[in-house]
Parts: sequence; C-alpha cells; structure tokens
Amino acid sequence: MDMKRDYYEDIELFPGWVEKFWFFLLLVFLGAFPFISNNYLIYVANFMAINIIVALGLNILVGYTGQISLGHAGFFAIGAFATFTLMQKASFPFLLALPAAALISAIFGFLIALPALRLEGPYLAIATLGFGLTITQVIGMIDLFGGRTGLHAPELLIGPWELKTDLDLYFLLVPLTIGLIIIARNLTRTRVGRAFIAIRDAEIAAETMGVNLIFYKTLAFAISAFYTGLAGGLYAFVLRFIEPEIFGLYMSIVFLTMVVVGGLGSIFGSIAGAMLLSWLDLELRNILDIPYLGNWLKDLSREYFSITGVSNIQYIVFGGILVLIMLFEPHGIYGFWIRTKKYWKTWPF
Amino acid sequence: MTDFLLVLASGITAGSSYALMGLAMVIIYKTSGVVNFAQGEMGLISAYITFMMLDYYGFGYLATFFWAFVFALFLGALMEFAILRRAKDPSVLGLMIITIGLEMILLGLVSWKFGADPKDMPFPISPFESIELVENIYISVLEVLTIGVATAVMLILFLFFRFSKLGVAMKAVQQNPMAAKLMGISTNRVLMITWSISSFVGALAALLIAPANMGPFMMWDPLLKGFAAAVMGGMTSLGGAVVGAYIVGIIENFFGTFISIEFKSVVAFSIIVIMLCVKPSGLFGRHYVKKV
Amino acid sequence: MKKLVLNCLFSITLMLGLSFSAYAGDGITDKEIHIGSWGPQTGPAAPWGTISRGSDAYFKMINKKGGINGRQIVFHHFDDGYNPARTKAGVKQLQEGETPMFAFVGGVGTSPGLAVVDYLMDAKVPWIGPATASEHWVNPPKKYLFTNYAPYYKEAMVLTKYAVETMKKKRIAVVYQNDDYGKGGLKGVRMQLEKNGMKPVLELPMEVKDTDMKPYIFKLKKADVDAVVLWISVGQAVRTIGTAKAMQLSPQFFGTSTVSDFPLMFKISKGLWKGVITASFNEPPESTSPLMMEYKEAFKQFASKDERWGTFFIAGFMFAEPLVEALKRIPHDELTRERLVLELEGLKNFQGIGAVTSYKKFDVKDPRSRQGTNAVYLTECLDNGANKKLTDWIELD
Repeated sequence: MDMKRDYYEDIELFPGWVEKFWFFLLLVFLGAFPFISNNYLIYVANFMAINIIVALGLNILVGYTGQISLGHAGFFAIGAFATFTLMQKASFPFLLALPAAALISAIFGFLIALPALRLEGPYLAIATLGFGLTITQVIGMIDLFGGRTGLHAPELLIGPWELKTDLDLYFLLVPLTIGLIIIARNLTRTRVGRAFIAIRDAEIAAETMGVNLIFYKTLAFAISAFYTGLAGGLYAFVLRFIEPEIFGLYMSIVFLTMVVVGGLGSIFGSIAGAMLLSWLDLELRNILDIPYLGNWLKDLSREYFSITGVSNIQYIVFGGILVLIMLFEPHGIYGFWIRTKKYWKTWPF
Repeated sequence: MTDFLLVLASGITAGSSYALMGLAMVIIYKTSGVVNFAQGEMGLISAYITFMMLDYYGFGYLATFFWAFVFALFLGALMEFAILRRAKDPSVLGLMIITIGLEMILLGLVSWKFGADPKDMPFPISPFESIELVENIYISVLEVLTIGVATAVMLILFLFFRFSKLGVAMKAVQQNPMAAKLMGISTNRVLMITWSISSFVGALAALLIAPANMGPFMMWDPLLKGFAAAVMGGMTSLGGAVVGAYIVGIIENFFGTFISIEFKSVVAFSIIVIMLCVKPSGLFGRHYVKKV
Repeated sequence: MKKLVLNCLFSITLMLGLSFSAYAGDGITDKEIHIGSWGPQTGPAAPWGTISRGSDAYFKMINKKGGINGRQIVFHHFDDGYNPARTKAGVKQLQEGETPMFAFVGGVGTSPGLAVVDYLMDAKVPWIGPATASEHWVNPPKKYLFTNYAPYYKEAMVLTKYAVETMKKKRIAVVYQNDDYGKGGLKGVRMQLEKNGMKPVLELPMEVKDTDMKPYIFKLKKADVDAVVLWISVGQAVRTIGTAKAMQLSPQFFGTSTVSDFPLMFKISKGLWKGVITASFNEPPESTSPLMMEYKEAFKQFASKDERWGTFFIAGFMFAEPLVEALKRIPHDELTRERLVLELEGLKNFQGIGAVTSYKKFDVKDPRSRQGTNAVYLTECLDNGANKKLTDWIELD
C-alpha cells in the first residue's frame, strides 16, 4: 500500500492527506501560539526558530555532505555584524541587508571550503575551529563593527511596519523558518542534494560517478554558511545587541551538538535537535525551581557538594542528556522517532 | 640574541604543557579514532582530587600524588568501559558528542563541588620562583619540571609503543582492529588501557598547570592548544604531537612578542590552516589512501 | 482511522498543555515587593555571581527585621552564565510572568546588561545599581537606570594620578582585557597621563582565555616600566604577577576594584599580591563600621556555609543600598515605580558602605543625574591579605 509508483510521488511535498492535515494543524497552532502564551515563550520560540535555521544549514554540511565544522559561530557572527553594519552604516533596508549579510557569510563559507577540500575529521575540525576563533577576533579589531563594545540594533522596518516586540519578530521568523525548511528539504532531494549524499557516503565513488567534488563541497559550505549567516542576522534582532565575545567556541559546539543529537542527515532531526537544545539552553537554569527535585538537589549540595556551585547541575544534566541520547540512539532524536513510528505501525505485533 | 633566546625559551615552556595534552589526545585518537574533548576535564578532576586531599585532608605529597594517579588511571578506564564502549553503532561524530557531554558533566561536577573561586594549589615547588639558565634568561622551576616531565613521558611512551607487548598490541588495534582480534588481542581491554594511559598523561598536565592557576576553566586553553598541536603533528603520531606543541608554543611567543599581541591566541590556528593546505594530514601523519 | 483519532488526540493535548498568559501588574502586592536580578553562577564568569547571592542575604536581613514599610521583599535572581541570550530570557520570564518585577537591582556584566537594558527601559522598570561599571549605563542617561558604581575610567584615573603624583612613577604601562571592561581602564589611564603631560609607555591587550603571560612580561621588561596598571581578570592578574616574579621584573602593580579581594588574591598568588595597590568601591571585608558589622551578621545568618565573606559578596549589599533607602522613604500606600524614581532622584549624599551617592532630576545631557558616584579609594595589600587604606574617597573630573 505504501509503495511508491511514480517519481513525482517521491518528490511530492505532502505525500498524503494525513500529512496535509498535520501541516494545516501545525500552521493553526503556530498562528494561535502567540495569543495563548506570553512574551517570554514567544522569545523562546524565536530563539528556537533561529537555531532551527542554523541546524538546517549545518546539517546540510555535516549530515548530508559529511564535513565537520566547529566554526559555525563564526558564520553566525558574520551574518549578525554584517546585517547591523549594512543597515546602520550603509543604510540598507532590512530586507536587502539580511540576504546581503547571508551572502557575505556564504562567500566566507566558500573561502573556508578551499582549504577544507582536502581535509577531513579532526583536521577539518581544527581548521574550522580556528576560523571561528579568528573571525570574532578580527571583528573585534574593526571599529566599524563596534569593536569589542558591540552594536545596538537599528530600527527594523519592513515596508511601513516597524518590528519591535517579540511578537512582531515571531511573525517574521516563523514563515521564514518554514520557508527555509521547505527549501532545505527540497534541496536535499534534488541533484545537488543527492550529490552531497554521494560525497558523504564515498568521496571517490562519487567522483567516478561524475560528481564534481570541488564544486559540490564548496557549494555545501556556501549554502551552510548562507543559512547560518541568515540566522545570525535574525539573532542580532532577537537579542538587539551583539558583541564578538557572544559568538564563542561554546556556541559552535552547541550548534554541532544540535545537529548530531537531532539526527544527521535528517531535516526533522535538525528541527527536533535545535528545539531540544535551545530549550535546554534557556530553561535549564530553572532546574532548582522544580518542586521536590529542586529541594532534593539543594539538600544534596548542602550535604556533599557546595551550595554556591549548585547551579552547575545544569551542565551535568545537559551533558547527561547528550551522552544518553548518543549512547542509545546513534541517529539521535530522528532515530527515536523512526523507531516509535515503526513500533506503532506494527502494533500490536 | 638574548631576546631571541628568551622568547625561544618562553615558547618551549609554553609548548611543554601543550605537548602533554596533545600526547593524551593522540594516544586515544590513535587507537580508537575518538577526538576526546573530555581530555582536559579528566585532568581537571584529577587535579581537584589532588587539591582536596592536600588542602582539605592534609595528606602528604607522595601519598596524594600516588592516589591521584591511581584515580586518573581508574577514571580513564571507567570512561571507556562504562560509557564509550556502551555506545550503540558508534560513529566518529557520535563519539565526539559523547565526549563533549562527558566534558560538561565533569566540569559541572568540579564546579558544583568546589565553587567558582580560584584555588590555591599546594605544591612542593613554587610556580613563581625561577632559576637563571644563561645570563638574563630566567625560567621558573615549575616550567623546568614541566619540560622534564613532558620529555620523560614522550620517551617512555615511545619506548612503550615500540618495545612492550602491550604497546605493540595497541598499534595492532589501531591499524586493523579486526585482524588484531583474530590474533587473540582483546581489543576492548587494549582500548581501556589506552584511555587509562591518556587520562594519566592528562592528569600530569593538569597537575603541572594547577599550581600557577587553578580554577574550573583552567584546562580549556591547554586542551584547545593541545588539540591544535596534535593536529599539526598529524594526530596519529606521538612525536608529531610533541613537535607540533613546541611549534605552536614558539610561534605564539614569537608572534605575540614581535608582531601582534592581540592575535597571539589565534595565530596558531591560522598557521595550522596554512600548514594543512600543504600537508592535509599534519606534519608527521601518514596520508593513507582510502580504499573504495 | 486509528491514525486519525490518535492524531486528533495528540493535537488536543498539545493545545491544552499551554498555559494562558497572566496579567501584567507592577510587582507589588499589599505584603510583597518583587525585585529581580541576575548573575552568572556557572561558566568562566561565575566568581562574579557572588554579588547576587550577597544581595539575597541583604534582602533576607531586611525581611527578618520586618521588611520595608510593611512589605516583605521577594528577591528573584537567576543564573545567566554570562550569556546575553539567557539574561534576556530570564529577565523576560520574570517580567512577563504572573507577578512582574517592581525593579531590578545589581546584575552582572556589560553585555548581559546591554542585552536587556532597552527592554527594561521600554517597560519603565527601574534598574538600580548595575554591578558593572560600564559607561553605557549613563551615556546617555536613562530615566529608569540608576548606578552607584564609579565607571572604570574614573577608577583608572584615580590610580594613575596616585602613581604619577604620589609615587612619582615615570614609566607607566597598561595591560588590559581586550573588551569593554579593559578598554575603560585604558581610557582612564590615557586621560590622566595626558593631564600630567605623559603617555602610557606600553598598552598591551590581553584576551580573556590567554594563559601564557610571557610575551607580556617580556615586552614590559623591554620597555623598562616602573608601574603597571592591570585591567584584567583575577586569574590572569595572578599569573601576570607570578610570571613577572619568575622573570625578575618587579614594577609597582596597580589593579582595578575587581581584583581588590585581598585575602583571596593573596592566597591564590601565594603571597605575591603583597604591595599591590588597587582601587575599591566599598568598605573592605575586615572593616568594623557598625553597618558592616550588621551586614556580617546577616552573612553569618543567611549565607550558605561555603560562602566567603569577600569583596564581591559585600558588593551585593552595596549595589542594593540606594534602592532600599529609597523604598524606606516611600509610605506604604504610595509605592509606585514612578514614585521610586522620584525618591531616588531626591537621594542626596547618601552613604552606606560604598561611596557617597546622590542623584539628580533626570536630564539627558547630564550623566551625573543617574551616575550616583564617581568616587573610589585606594588601598594596598599587606601580609595575609590585610589592607591599608591609602587615600580617602577620591573623585576626579
């Protein structure tokens, strides 16, 4: 019954009415969400949307093309600073500045891809890590980008509308994110996407099949950097203040973790991983306010650890979740999803 | 000339502590292919155990160091046995994320127990006393010790991998795990021992860093630089890691002193990128051809 | 069919799971005043988190004495890990929750603060005593932001003036953290030296993560300096002085208020901190003034047993003092945010354990309408972290 009989069936966005129904429900939910929640949750949702965009971009590089990157905070920073600078110093309108900044980021992605062509594994990791560290250093040197003091957000105008509150940004971010998800999804199922996957699975085999390694690898870097740069520009408006120190190594590591924990080579995985980790990133600080557990942890600290350092439980929980997910499900959240789906499909057998 | 020698000496001393971290990373990468981001924090926890024994319970130095090293060996084995070995269908990236998770757990534990304030690590020799090597070239006693330890560890590891049965078995596991298994080598046990040794070397590095600067985040920079050094040397070569570490230390010091102090902490990475363009597997790494 | 039912059920639970939004009040009830703050309890900046724990002990002390004009203070402080995105999330969560905050107090860090300052000002929520001496708070002044921490450049000016005029130092160098904090110090040194017709001999930027101090000491030694102003973090300051000792360089070191916790500094530098001169913005831990004794009592009662009676903990009291003073002056029934601003503006020559603090009527052109003080005093580290007060409170233009 589930067999596909036609190529067009394979590339269809929504294979059946169930998917359409779900998508419709999702849209309703996303539209209604701001009206049934408060500003804080909208801020969290915005934060998640941005991380989803980054995770999509990084997944194209890591999950689909098989290239590791520990420097994506660098592209993120480029996107953020370029957007602000273009708007403030060159008085670009937002709708032009954002893609322009993403394009600049993509150019950097292309440049970093050139030495990366011959590298793999830890070598590529250290090269990209070096890029991430150096680029924030360079940005911090240049007064045009506010030096180490950073930049404040300019007015965000789209046509006649000014976007100021989290709610306004939400209505900008959500459609944009959905659009980018669909683009990424389609991209991975085109000739380009299949070329990426071929490179990931076997470089030499791909080359003999006629995949131009140089072209597609640099393209993967550029697309990935484009997505990340775009997200960076939006992040700058969610935070409304940026300085180079924000875009440190920790951020790059969290980005990479999102993709791996979500599930390599899966759009659903990127979304799930980004949502999970951004939620943990923002919400774990409240761990001590959880009834019973919080008090128990405090008692434990008083007895065996130190109460001044009790907040560090966040790190332990965060790390613990990473370890557990990767131990039991190498395909991340996507793997869990697939297994659950399978289980219910064949239930009760 | 004195300037040159002085900066060179500074570079070598800085390189020594990177070298230990680099060695620790290479040992694990060589046998199991895991880039171990928890390396620094494994050393950190050993250093804090040492601190606790010395400062809280007043043990003597010899007993403390002995137990700290026993702890480090045990910790390494535990990591491998209890966690990494349990990974289902491990992929290189998956294992790396596991080590990142472990890093956070260990860092969290240390900060939870000891708080964020910097600590004063008791140590038999002062990190701030120095001796005069040549005229006007001073080098602190702790740094002399670090250089000595780094050299000794390197030599011992070299001899170990070259001549001991276990060392040869480790090499075999690295080159072809399946064949090694067929030859009757217990690869699991070999991996566990590898992690132990690596944890021990990491603990040495942490103990030598701690007297001058002890806090929960003291191992971040050495870990990164050690990783960079290992990559420079080729990630699979012990000698390479040490040479890489000294190159990184020396470049940093010369660049920082004579060109730009602002870019000192990132110059090593730029140099590495350039070097990798020429030699994609590092200075001493063998570039093996992948079979299709 | 089964699938469809499942789908529907799932979506309904999703809808119900969401909470409905609450009303936005002004953070006071008949019995309570809600005050918010943040400070890093985790991450590399965690030593600063002590400040918000100090404020916590302060408010507990006040509550024990019966609160302020019939109201108890409910103090909400959260850990942001010095990550601006998290600071913003936390402030929003407090502000958009069931009871928003009446005011914010303290709050560590320049970039975390800059990430939330617009939000707080737009919401007209007073923010008193930011725990970072950034110039941004009063440049330009903001109606709802009151600070009582002299900016770093003023601190640097006082230190430099002392070095030049009292200690007759001729060749002064600056080692500064390469960010807003360090550059504030650099600016002050430059300004003061210019007044004396001099220039810094050497200006060395240092990255936060740097651990190898040798190139710095090498350069300082080459430049033959006789005084070094350190505008860097605690750990790096100790390493710098230690490396200087090892490389046989012994100028007079000057430090900022952030390295003025002498007992700690003396201990972790293994005694090398002796003789270092720093600026300070509140009374030293061993002070025996009546107010300090009262605070120390609060520390014994309310702080956890692994807390340390150090400069940062005390600073937590200091940053909250103007707020408490102003609240005390407002009768029970008249408490509003606007009234608080008015009362703060009327605060003249108020002194707790910090410098003398006064505010003025809001004036966009006058930073002093919101910068409560510019004064610091200098102190020298003696054996075992004891301190010797070198000067009285000094304020330079």
